[in-house]
Amino acid sequence: MLSAGLVLSACGSAAEDSGSDSSGPWSFVDGSGETVKLDEIPKRIIAHAGEAAALMSFGIRPVGIYGDESVKTDPNLKDLDLDGIEILGEEWGVIDVEKAAELDPDLIVADWWPAEKAHGGFEEGVEEKSLKLAELAPVVGATQGESILSLAQGYEKLAESLGADVDDPELAADKNAFEEALSRFKEVVASKPELTVLAVSPSDDLLYVANPEYAPELLDFQEWGLKVINPDSPDKGFPYWENLSWENADKYQPDLLMIDSRQFDSTLAQAEKHPTWQTIRAAKADAIIQWPAFWLHTYGDYAQALEILADDLEKADENIGD
Amino acid sequence: MSTTGTVSVPVRRRAPVLGTGLAVLLVALAAVAFLSVSLGSRSISLADVLRALSDMTVTSTDGSVTLEMRVPRTLLGILVGAALGVSGAVLQGVTRNPLADPGIMGINAGAAAFVVLAITVLGLRGISAYIWFAFLGAAVATLLVYAVASLGREGATPVKLALAGVAVTAGLTSVTTGIVMTDVDALNELRFWQVGSLAGRYAPILFGVAPFLGLGLVAALACGRSLNGLALGEDTARALGLNLARTRLLLFAVVAVLCGAATAACGPIVFVGLVVPHIARVLCGPDYRWILPYSLLLSPIALLLADIAGRVLGSPGELQVGVVLGVAGAPCFVALVRYGRMAEL
Repeated sequence: MLSAGLVLSACGSAAEDSGSDSSGPWSFVDGSGETVKLDEIPKRIIAHAGEAAALMSFGIRPVGIYGDESVKTDPNLKDLDLDGIEILGEEWGVIDVEKAAELDPDLIVADWWPAEKAHGGFEEGVEEKSLKLAELAPVVGATQGESILSLAQGYEKLAESLGADVDDPELAADKNAFEEALSRFKEVVASKPELTVLAVSPSDDLLYVANPEYAPELLDFQEWGLKVINPDSPDKGFPYWENLSWENADKYQPDLLMIDSRQFDSTLAQAEKHPTWQTIRAAKADAIIQWPAFWLHTYGDYAQALEILADDLEKADENIGD
Repeated sequence: MSTTGTVSVPVRRRAPVLGTGLAVLLVALAAVAFLSVSLGSRSISLADVLRALSDMTVTSTDGSVTLEMRVPRTLLGILVGAALGVSGAVLQGVTRNPLADPGIMGINAGAAAFVVLAITVLGLRGISAYIWFAFLGAAVATLLVYAVASLGREGATPVKLALAGVAVTAGLTSVTTGIVMTDVDALNELRFWQVGSLAGRYAPILFGVAPFLGLGLVAALACGRSLNGLALGEDTARALGLNLARTRLLLFAVVAVLCGAATAACGPIVFVGLVVPHIARVLCGPDYRWILPYSLLLSPIALLLADIAGRVLGSPGELQVGVVLGVAGAPCFVALVRYGRMAEL
């Protein structure tokens, strides 16, 4: 796989380079712990949606993007100018590898998901022919493991290695905004020491309870003092969630429920059809807020998300759940 | 049925035995239904279950789970199971194809295609919103299969029905795939629906499909004689005075209503419609006047047992009944073929 990437990168470098004086060799420590080395700095990059947005915030434009949903609704991409960038997939697990090959990529950028031991786009369940993307170029990414901050820093490091100017004033402003939002978030959390939160994803047949261990933003919130409830028996094969039948919807009684912000309204409408949704006291009290689930990659986006959360937490009642 | 006394005597002698068998199955179904209400992924004491059942008012979470979730789920399981088993028996009889089931006759594919259209074109979300489209799709597919198969001189012969089923299934599946490839939301909704499950279906869905299932079952049970006629072959059936085209059309309409409503409510559920009629045939011989009621009672027993297993084993979550049946159904079918007396159709 690596050798194929090397050959391709050698071919692709014929295109005029944007006058960078150092052209390699290049290396990067991937989220999996492996070090990926190339003879030259990769120029033609294909990236997964959120990772692409992170690179673009450092001024690095990928040649191709693949996402898990339409680029029009993906929270990472919806406000970005994607002119001239090839869209290779808008559905989880389906990537147009033929189109990707025409782009002649030097590098593929996607988060490393430790629970699945795979990069985003190469997990179990992805179409066989989509997996061939990995044969076009080496795949690197920051790890989804511990924190959104390690993701943001990981992509900063990657962008720097690719020749980006990471001292841009706009980026510094984003970092400042993040620091401000974080201190306000911590303040609000500290003012409500009893507040407990549960992140859920209600569906037609099951109520999925998020396992913070595999949700970096929830781990961050815990780190910053918010009591996000840890489910006691996450699914063994897919540990992101504990699967509760709707009969057991009242197993946890938080003060506040968080639902994935990406399909907030339709998900909530679905949840309300189940007679036991109201047995979660927070649901009955309408103490439900948006959870920026699994998509944040940059300081700028994180700052905005934390501001919204701080507003929500400020209004929260800590005496609803157990 | 044959008109000679030598054949009908043994059948008449077996009637009390078979009738007793039906009574036993009815008791067994009642017992399994009670288990289905008292067992589940949530542990509720028997006393609390009985209290909820006798009060019939929801005062606690346990009461809500018992009355608002398990009772409609169980009733739906009984109706859907019966519909799948009976329509499987009818389909196998009318097509004289031992492998006929809703999947092969294009019914699931039709329902899926219409569900996807409802999601993408009309923007509907959630099972209760698109249930009627699934129903319509199943009915359209069944009648399309029948219409295609009836072209030509001989009408809807078993071979032409099987081929038409395959062709219509392929056509409708490509429509579904084509839409799903370009619409992620539709894919996600379809993924949920396509597993086949009794979870998350409450009173509105039960009351929605119950009239269709009830009428369809009554109509199907009245078709035993026609099916017996068809089983003797086309020439004999014609000689017995059956109007082949009209009989087949009627039987197909019954199947469309039964499978359509069942699939609309619970998604495509496999194996029940395929395996149970064969078990019924082993138990009671080739007479459809017995096969139909045996399938009617055996199928919901199988479906509810699989659903209970999925709920108890999957706690605190649950396994969809479609998954349990897929896992348990395959070895059952192999055993039936390998050791059982697979009756010729």
